[in-house]
Amino acid sequence: MSVRRRFFVTQALFGGGTLLVCCLAPLIGPTTISLTRVFDTAIPFAENVDAQIFFIARLPRMLAGALVGATLASAGVVLQALLRNPLATPFTLGVSAGASLGAMIVIIFGVRLSFLGVPATPLASFAGSLVAVGLVYSLARARGRGLSTNVLLLAGVTLNSLFSATILFVQYLADFSESFRAIRWVMGNLDVSSYDPILSALPMVGLAFVAFATLPRTLNLLALGTDHAATRGVNVLAAQRLAFVSASLATGAAVSVGGPIGFIGIIVPHIVRLLVGADHRVVLPASAMLGAAFLVTCDVGARTLMSPVELPVGVITALLGGPFFLWLLIRHS
Amino acid sequence: MATHSTFVNTDWLASHRSPATASRQRGRRSPSATAAVALVVWSILLGWTHPTRGGQLAPPPQRIVTVIPAVTEILFAVGADAQIVGIGSFDELPAGAAEIARVGGLLDPDMEQILALRPDLVVLYESQTEQAEQLQRAGIPLMSYSHAGLADIVTTIRSLGERTGHLTQATSVATRLTQRLDAVRARVRGRPRPRTLLVFSREPLSLRNTYASGGIGFLHDMLDVAGGDNVFADIADERVAQLSAEAILTAAPTVILEIRNDGGFGVDIAEQERAVWRSLPAVPAVVRDEIHFLAGSEFVVPGPRVVDAIEQIARLLHPDAF
Amino acid sequence: MLRVEGVWFRYENDDEVLRDVSLTIPRGGLVGVIGPNGSGKSTLLRLLGGLSTPSRGYLTLDDDDLTSLSRRTLACRVAMVPQETQLAFEYSVLEIVMMGRYPHLGAFSIEGPDDYRIVTRALESTGTAHLSARLFTTLSGGEKQRVVIASALTQLHGPRHTGTQLLLLDEPTASLDLGFQLEITELVRTLNAQGITVIVSTHDLNLASSLCHELVLLREGRVLAAGATTDLLTRNNVRALYGVEAQMTRNAATGHTLVVPIARTQPGQGL
Repeated sequence: MSVRRRFFVTQALFGGGTLLVCCLAPLIGPTTISLTRVFDTAIPFAENVDAQIFFIARLPRMLAGALVGATLASAGVVLQALLRNPLATPFTLGVSAGASLGAMIVIIFGVRLSFLGVPATPLASFAGSLVAVGLVYSLARARGRGLSTNVLLLAGVTLNSLFSATILFVQYLADFSESFRAIRWVMGNLDVSSYDPILSALPMVGLAFVAFATLPRTLNLLALGTDHAATRGVNVLAAQRLAFVSASLATGAAVSVGGPIGFIGIIVPHIVRLLVGADHRVVLPASAMLGAAFLVTCDVGARTLMSPVELPVGVITALLGGPFFLWLLIRHS
Repeated sequence: MATHSTFVNTDWLASHRSPATASRQRGRRSPSATAAVALVVWSILLGWTHPTRGGQLAPPPQRIVTVIPAVTEILFAVGADAQIVGIGSFDELPAGAAEIARVGGLLDPDMEQILALRPDLVVLYESQTEQAEQLQRAGIPLMSYSHAGLADIVTTIRSLGERTGHLTQATSVATRLTQRLDAVRARVRGRPRPRTLLVFSREPLSLRNTYASGGIGFLHDMLDVAGGDNVFADIADERVAQLSAEAILTAAPTVILEIRNDGGFGVDIAEQERAVWRSLPAVPAVVRDEIHFLAGSEFVVPGPRVVDAIEQIARLLHPDAF
Repeated sequence: MLRVEGVWFRYENDDEVLRDVSLTIPRGGLVGVIGPNGSGKSTLLRLLGGLSTPSRGYLTLDDDDLTSLSRRTLACRVAMVPQETQLAFEYSVLEIVMMGRYPHLGAFSIEGPDDYRIVTRALESTGTAHLSARLFTTLSGGEKQRVVIASALTQLHGPRHTGTQLLLLDEPTASLDLGFQLEITELVRTLNAQGITVIVSTHDLNLASSLCHELVLLREGRVLAAGATTDLLTRNNVRALYGVEAQMTRNAATGHTLVVPIARTQPGQGL
């Protein structure tokens, strides 16, 4: 059947491409390393610079980039379907503002602790995103008649402004270096140099992806309209709740790994829809894969363009995102 | 001698030129007595904005305000401490010195307070252009300062000494400083210079957002005098921002020096922070456990105590030379 | 057969929208629900479609209480075409009609040949087969409405469709021009002839007159009257419902009553 075949063909193409990018990325970098040396087990790891560059500096970055990219792109798809708006992003509902506030408070008040190998900043940023999600959800529910997407949007925008104002205030209290570090965090950074942040974000992202896997058909129907969906047997409230919570928590986890890296949640779904149409059963997995490949590629740029200095990866996605939007705008008008 | 114009003519007022130009256009008047006084007072209020011209006022300033820690320390060193009425929030006073009014720092100088202190000399950072304009409008003499290399410390000591009327003392401080620097240089001469990474900022408990010194600036100069080779000496910048793990592994320093100017850097924290570097076990400095923390403001204030800093670094890099 | 018994409904913190509504709609009927703005027409349709539950009373379909049926089961027996269709993304006609198969498929299953057959039949019966590859947003108003109806039809084709198959249309011709209105009217008649029970809520009295066999008159949430169109479409009723003095003429060409509004009066006079 054509849908079945299209599904498998597109997933294979996207999957293959993403795998290729992810395998190539750790091989690219400002320092030339020799693969034979990297995998030469005769040399003790503690002395093998090439192996350390590969396994400590580059590979975790690639994995973090793939994780964050896949998460943000698919969360973008889900939220766009939920809010019935192709311009929605994972950050529209205030999640990243809450995460940023959490991280900044830790940075500026110099909290030093770590829990299960996870330092304070990612923990606080995830906590901040939870607070944001909780607030938006209870605001949207308070109106009674189910989860109105309009109210969700308004609540998210309101929370964004509230958090942004608080962030400005907290930054004002900071001294120069703290302020600088906080700003750098907001620009996004995938230099994890350890597998711990990835492993600690994995459970939440994994759960979210399981939820995402049950959603595509429902998202299609939600795109028709909530009444249309309801009359076709969709439990609209349950679906909206699941979509909102899973996408927001996934975003929170992604932001805690690499900071609020923007534009992935909107560029990637758009490109995928242009290529494969609007059916979420194809769009959702394809976006996850393209998101991974996209961010990994941007990160390769971030660490090689101005070596040994890092460009914040969020700057690169923004530099690509801005013109993309311009092009979208011109194309649509 | 002083060349500030005490005469006013309408040309100068209209074009708001510097006193040096105005003095070339000096006009001759023979006004009545009160008009003469008025004119002199007026020109004093409007006049003197010439930056970095050290020591050319007839009487040395008696009410100095500075927001720069290095300048405060230099003023104390040259014996001008009695002439200070306002210092920066982060400036350190020598033990036993009486407290002086604090007027803010680089980002938040309290202009109202500064003006209220009625200073006759204000030393500002070069980048504080807005505040400089404000003070110029108020007719307060300014001196502008910028962080630079080691050599500039000596120059600043001399020029501040001259400006505040303590030239002799300043010269002797500068000479002593230079002598001590030369002594360090002599001690480390001919010794192998370790490849050193000089970190001045990073995230606590993590290697993210690591900032190191580039090949320019007084941190680099300190390291250079102390007998170390900056791994990033080829970077023509004061700071190398956000080093990646890969960059650190590639640079392969044999010594890592970290400036930790956050107060309360105790032993247990030092151990945790040292452990963070062990996530890159191939770095020679990690292998040899040559990771040292430099705590103390002498490492970040380019003033007379810079020699103390350099000597400490030299001792770490070349323990057998001391 | 669809039975509505003693149904009251109110939205939270609002007044009652429906008061003590009782109706019986026979299987295979073609019923029009008419009434002024705010009379509760749309709400009644939403209740019939299972989108909301009544505060009091109950609705049964072939003796099954609507609230007792699972969403999917209900969706296989009752399909609703809401007033507006605003598409957030660019779906094709085929994709949209295929979405009607949702209640028949699991979360992970992909449509099979049976589904395609049903979809094709629905497209053909609505005359939209030639549009299947087009993007929905590029269609004309009439075509869009026909596609949405086709989508609703695919929903209804249960594997064993004994029992009432109900199609609810909320203002189906509201934004359509005369030509499309005729198209939709024809379509609905055809579907009804094939055995589908149809309930149409509409403002357009002439549509109700020409299309519906029976009418339900709603005013301020109450049923004013229910019965054959020919019996109920009278000057007095129009005056009672809308506060409008109208001229009723029998159209010789179609055999239906034509309602022509003349002037506003006080509602409540007559009946």
